[in-house]
Amino acid sequence: MAGPSPIHRLNPLTKLLLAAVSTILAVVLGGLVAPAVIVALAVIVPALIAGILPRLLRTALLLSLPIAISVLLVNLLFYPAGREILFQVGPIRATAEGLGFALETLARIGAISGAITLFYLTTPPAELVLDLERRGVPARLAFVAIASVQTVPAMVERAAAITAAQRARGLDTEGSAWKRIRGIVPLAGPVLLGSIAEIEERTMSLEARGFTRPGRRTLLWSPPDSGTQRAVRWLLVAALPAVVLARATGWLPA
Amino acid sequence: MLSLEGVTYRYAGTSRPSLRDISLTFGDGEVVGIAGRSEAGKTTLCLVLSGLAPRTVGGSLSGRLLVDGSDAAPLAIHELAGRIGIAFASPATQLSGVAATVYEEVAFGPMNLGLPRDEIIQRTDEALTALRIEPLAARDPARLSGGQQQLVAIAGLLAQRPAHLVLDEPTAQLDPQGTRLVGEALTRLANGGASIILVEQKTDLLAAVCSRVVVLDAGAVARDGAAGDVLGDERLSSLGIAAPASVRLRKALAQAGAGAAQLAVLDEPLR
Amino acid sequence: MDARATRLGIGVVIGAALGLALLATGQQWVLALAAAVVAADVVYAVLARMQTGDWAPMRFAAGLVAFAVVTYVGIIGFGDFGTQADVDPNTFVNAKAANTWALILTIAMVVGAVVYFGLELLQTGRLDSLAGQFGTRTLLLMVVGIAVNIILGQTVASALKIPIYLDSIGTILVGVLCGPIAGALTGGLCNILWSYVIPPPFQYQPAAAFAITAVAIGVIAGLAGRAGFLRPRPNRSTAELLAGGAITVALIGVMAAFAIIGYQKIFQTDVSLLPNTEGVDWYFVLLAWLALLLVVGAVVGLFALLLIRRDLTAAYVVVIGVFTGVVAALISAPIAAGVFGGVTASGTDFLVAAFRQAGLDVQAATTGQGLISDPIDKVTTFFTVYLILQAMANRFKARFPQGERVVMADEGAAA
Repeated sequence: MAGPSPIHRLNPLTKLLLAAVSTILAVVLGGLVAPAVIVALAVIVPALIAGILPRLLRTALLLSLPIAISVLLVNLLFYPAGREILFQVGPIRATAEGLGFALETLARIGAISGAITLFYLTTPPAELVLDLERRGVPARLAFVAIASVQTVPAMVERAAAITAAQRARGLDTEGSAWKRIRGIVPLAGPVLLGSIAEIEERTMSLEARGFTRPGRRTLLWSPPDSGTQRAVRWLLVAALPAVVLARATGWLPA
Repeated sequence: MLSLEGVTYRYAGTSRPSLRDISLTFGDGEVVGIAGRSEAGKTTLCLVLSGLAPRTVGGSLSGRLLVDGSDAAPLAIHELAGRIGIAFASPATQLSGVAATVYEEVAFGPMNLGLPRDEIIQRTDEALTALRIEPLAARDPARLSGGQQQLVAIAGLLAQRPAHLVLDEPTAQLDPQGTRLVGEALTRLANGGASIILVEQKTDLLAAVCSRVVVLDAGAVARDGAAGDVLGDERLSSLGIAAPASVRLRKALAQAGAGAAQLAVLDEPLR
Repeated sequence: MDARATRLGIGVVIGAALGLALLATGQQWVLALAAAVVAADVVYAVLARMQTGDWAPMRFAAGLVAFAVVTYVGIIGFGDFGTQADVDPNTFVNAKAANTWALILTIAMVVGAVVYFGLELLQTGRLDSLAGQFGTRTLLLMVVGIAVNIILGQTVASALKIPIYLDSIGTILVGVLCGPIAGALTGGLCNILWSYVIPPPFQYQPAAAFAITAVAIGVIAGLAGRAGFLRPRPNRSTAELLAGGAITVALIGVMAAFAIIGYQKIFQTDVSLLPNTEGVDWYFVLLAWLALLLVVGAVVGLFALLLIRRDLTAAYVVVIGVFTGVVAALISAPIAAGVFGGVTASGTDFLVAAFRQAGLDVQAATTGQGLISDPIDKVTTFFTVYLILQAMANRFKARFPQGERVVMADEGAAA
């Protein structure tokens, strides 16, 4: 995830702020034009610079596909205020108003998804947390964040190992939905309770390694920052109320 | 120097004490083995020596733990972290869970202790060298073998520069190769003058590494003496301990009628 | 009945009386409910101070009052929610409502927290309630909790198209064992990580918008744990069990009635919980009945626990589950409506569609969906957490900040 491009080397906070501001603006402004502009400026251009445009498009589409389908279906077909009927299949009516609403929601979701995916693809999670820790976030909070991110795949691997062991003992995990649900239950026990039981030993090791020492700990490395980036961040933060105000006073049409 | 004076310890919620009036002294540079049947109090002894009992695990302690002659009671657990390092049997649960590389994992302790950056780097490098795991420095600790993870854990302790290392059955969950890795590392550390307190069921390992062995039985000290004497003792099995292979071999040969010259061959190192 | 239950009872009675009085004079049900809750807590705190000399409940009540006041001021003074008619005709989205709600509630929570901790710092010179809640064990349980939330929640959302979430087991477990602040932090941090930091396939980008809901769930779970809600109560007498069952049914009935009344008042629509069968297609009627069956099934299942294990705590689980569910639904609905048009790609979408088909707008549809899905989800979750707690050894639980409160009254690990 850490790559050579200037975007990758940007301070994580800058990238996070870009994603957050893009998201909020997309929600607040709404419509079709605003999200499109946001996507072009805040997602496509940085992705091009970072050389990850194909990957970003693929990932963002993959992530937003389920929700996009749902939005399209629910709003196209079940929009109560719809009048202009596009087509009708039996009792289900597709309306133009529904389509319009769906497209605007999709635009918003697309902007949000693109912004978040850009951030995620150019920033290793640990980097963001380390940067925040350098700026004063308590070490314990940073620990929980990083450890959680690492525990998710670890727990899934453990579940996979237990599933394999159970399958070797004859437990049927394929098949109908009901069988799958039944398969999850004997899995949840060992994985969850095992993880909880480990807490005691982990506590001892952590505390014996000075984890409970009050105050800051020394960071071996944290992402670099620059004055330019700081200025850009302030600009981004200021852009929010500015845009909202412009919209409210009619300066910026919908 | 690490010593216990009349220490009795009881876990929370139990009525019977796990350690009964123990007095032991561990000098600098000593490599001491702790043996005994299960539930004899070996793990409890490790927890008390490291200060985890009663600070982290609760329970009540009477008597004194002395570190370099001064009472450890007013010290918090993070203050003891720089004096005594403790390792456990399960390799995976000793990893911090937040380090992407072995290097960061070993540096975890010194980072917590707030040492200056240069010193952390120096200590980490030294620890990696002492355990000969420099080639592993860039690897993901979660993906190593059990034996390698134990080496990383011990390196992490060394980086804290403790006066004493307490190791609670570090090879219990390892395969033979892992056990060999850890055993060799411990031998090197011992030869280098480290102060080690090693709890093990594998008396062969104790015989190879330790100069002195303490046997615990039902929370009290049953034997305390030179490794050769204690482990060669006839009555060892009554304390629930299997004698080391070398002792059993010697005994079998002697019973088969081997003479002193032939038995002397057993003392030569294997090539 | 012990003294604490008595204080709680008196508080609830007085609060309910105030709430009903407000309703009778024509106030909005939300206002009445909020006033009732605040009044109940203030009464409880005053009684606690008088009887036991403990200041902590009063500090909490002060924080709660501050929260309520700021929320009220925010709504009245800046109340730019728009109404049903005041929705942007181009987007049909009441983004104003969503953003305003989130903003007001966040500010109110911060103010309430500042008041609470400020008072504690002033009175005792320390922050025990905060410091005590974040030992190493708590942090490690938070890690497990966040991971479980994400794994289970993502699996349910993407693989199982059922109208529940199952993404707060970890939050509630941490809340009950470690306290409200730890629970709140678990929920909030989990949702933020879930959106921005966790890599696919476990990433769920809508999650961060609902962080405030997760925080609220954590707080409620923490308070419930502190009050001993999840303490096992096995082998109770038939009389107690009958009383517990009756109270449960009554409370659920009252909350349902409140929900229906409030629903009708706020949205000025004539919707009952039973699906509107006029002009609605048969498959939606079927799905709606299925949803109702789920509700009934969950309650029946827990009553079975009541009868077979004679464990009174089952009743407590139902009560706290329904309460938490209703609160979570009310907080999430405007967010879901405003940000995602009511659709979140989980199994709840068909419920939203059903309500839309019945003629409701986005806001009302998401509220309706939430009021069905959330209570079931939270009752199931609290029940699961109860089972997990039962499986943990007592002396292990006791080392957590609120561990003593989930152990049976006459047991408990001696120090």
